[in-house]
Amino acid sequence: MRKIKKQKIYLLALLLPFIMFVIGFEIGPLVAMIKNSFYADNGIQVTINQYITIFKSKFYLQAIQNSLVISLFSAVVSVIIAVIAAYSITKFSQKIQNRILMITNMTSNFEGIPLSFSYIILLGNNGLFTLLFSKIGWDVFADFNLYSWTGLILVYVYFQIPLAVMLIYPSYQGIKKQWKEASSLLGGSTSSFWLHIGIPVLLPSIVGTFSILFANAMGAYATAYALVGSNYNLLSLQIASLVASDVALKPQLGSALGVLLAATMIGAMWFNGRMMRRIRRDLK
Amino acid sequence: MSYVTIDQVTKGYENQVVLNDISLVLKKGEFATLLGQSGCGKSTLLRSIAGLEDVDLGRILIDGKDITNLSPRQREVGMVFQSYALFPNMNVFDNIAYGLKMKKIKNIKSRVKKMIEMVDLIGKEESYPHQLSGGQQQRVALARALVMEPKVLLLDEPLSALDAKIRKNLQKELKRIQKELDITTIFVTHDQEEAMTMSDRIFVMNKGQVVQSGSPSEIYTSPVNTFVAKFIGNYNVCNMEAFRKLVRSTELKGNEVAIRPEVLQLVSVGEDSLDLQENWVIKGIIKDVSMTGNVLRYEVETEESVFLVDYLHHRGNMFEQGARVHILVPKKECIIL
Ligand SMILES: Nc1ncnc2c1ncn2[C@@H]1O[C@H](COP(=O)(O)OP(=O)(O)OP(=O)(O)O)[C@@H](O)[C@H]1O
Ligand SMILES: [Mg+2]
Repeated sequence: MRKIKKQKIYLLALLLPFIMFVIGFEIGPLVAMIKNSFYADNGIQVTINQYITIFKSKFYLQAIQNSLVISLFSAVVSVIIAVIAAYSITKFSQKIQNRILMITNMTSNFEGIPLSFSYIILLGNNGLFTLLFSKIGWDVFADFNLYSWTGLILVYVYFQIPLAVMLIYPSYQGIKKQWKEASSLLGGSTSSFWLHIGIPVLLPSIVGTFSILFANAMGAYATAYALVGSNYNLLSLQIASLVASDVALKPQLGSALGVLLAATMIGAMWFNGRMMRRIRRDLK
Repeated sequence: MSYVTIDQVTKGYENQVVLNDISLVLKKGEFATLLGQSGCGKSTLLRSIAGLEDVDLGRILIDGKDITNLSPRQREVGMVFQSYALFPNMNVFDNIAYGLKMKKIKNIKSRVKKMIEMVDLIGKEESYPHQLSGGQQQRVALARALVMEPKVLLLDEPLSALDAKIRKNLQKELKRIQKELDITTIFVTHDQEEAMTMSDRIFVMNKGQVVQSGSPSEIYTSPVNTFVAKFIGNYNVCNMEAFRKLVRSTELKGNEVAIRPEVLQLVSVGEDSLDLQENWVIKGIIKDVSMTGNVLRYEVETEESVFLVDYLHHRGNMFEQGARVHILVPKKECIIL
């Protein structure tokens, strides 16, 4: 008995740096943010006025809505593409699979300002492809504006896909060949296999990936900032301008927006959990 | 008469022939076993019958119909895998009902219920595979295949992942269900004891070929070659030249002689009541005694080779290690190969 306890203490001691890190850099700021959000602009009076301001302001509600829409949209599109892409990857030989994964891994780290500038260089108003195609007389990009809603979505989807593939790919390993064989011997077609067994088995990881992508997009800041500056009304951009811009600093209001941002993410996770329990009844 | 016909089937992978011109015929309702060592092609043959592998040459017929080029779902065969392959996201009921739903068959509920009764899983309808024991999962897999009323049931080492006791039980149960439904069954195993107890007919395979087929007792009492003799019954297989030296006789022909361990008798040196008319006599020394269940197995060293001698274990027939003995070999039990 005593020995086990001792071991546990050692293990906890090893965990200590990690726990301190989490408290200092994650829980600490979170608590500070929540606390801050309940103060007036002067930082002295305790009030819920910041939240009232937000819910009365069309501007901020718009920002929240825009962020939700772009996050949902890019997460859904990326998950669908990733489910198909990851499946195709599993059809290659092991060697090629490893190579593709390596590239995916690299590109999944490609986001933020470098990514935006790459897009600007390739598809901006004077971008390489834009000019090339207009020279050729091929006007696919004539109506395309990178600095718009469509452009933003394109870039978001782009940086979400590699991450989504990386997250979903491993779960295909869990689909056993013999399930397919059993299904076909019982009269099932390929599509009925995927409908009744494949997708339901993949579902937990699809749903999990979806929440990560959603959170990833909700919080994305640098990519959007570099591409559309403050021209586009997104929650993350508004928070940034309230806590770090050089015009009018309103950290309390920024904190309140931050709390709402966190709340949407928690909401998304809760929703995912519920959905999963409904569809996969075998999982507790 | 013939219900399942495998006609000169050949199948290879890249640079290796796995099934080498195999032909075999089964009657309706027969329980046939493919028996052979690991890698001899048993699974490949079974999977070819199921349509999960294509064959390179030859034909496969079931109930007079050539199914060689049909897809698995058109073949009306059921299969149970060694790993069960139950659908993890479905409970017992839905697993068993899956095939019926796919084929849009009516009164699914009553058919599934009947099947659940048959495999003795009442009360487990709502359980998921991960909540079941290995034996229970195996029953579900069996029910899932049988509920489709397939023409042929294929079983690929369905019991090998289970421990000995459950395995014995399931063997009996499987046999009972098979008889009850009178379903033609092909069973794969590399356990000769299992093959002996369950089969109407055994096909012994070696290196992609059927080397002998017949009823369990035929195979056991008259193996056609050394491979079968060694594989089936722990036969003592002795080179003929050596055997002639041991028994000091020149009248024997053939290359090898195979003798079952349980037909041999041991007699202490010094006892003179040897029947030399009916038996060959070989001198030896007891090297080792071991016990497996109710059988005592002696390893007796002779001038040429070691003989295994099996005795039923009851008091009074113990020989000590190192004892000098005569081995009595009944002449009519010697199988010349
Ligand atoms: N997909 C494949 N590609 C290449 N070779 C294969 C493939 N499947 C099987 N083989 C080879 O075919 C031979 C027979 O395999 P098979 O699975 O039929 O053996 P088995 O008799 O069922 O053995 P076991 O008792 O171990 O299950 C083996 O040598 C194996 O290496
Ligand atoms: Mg096998």
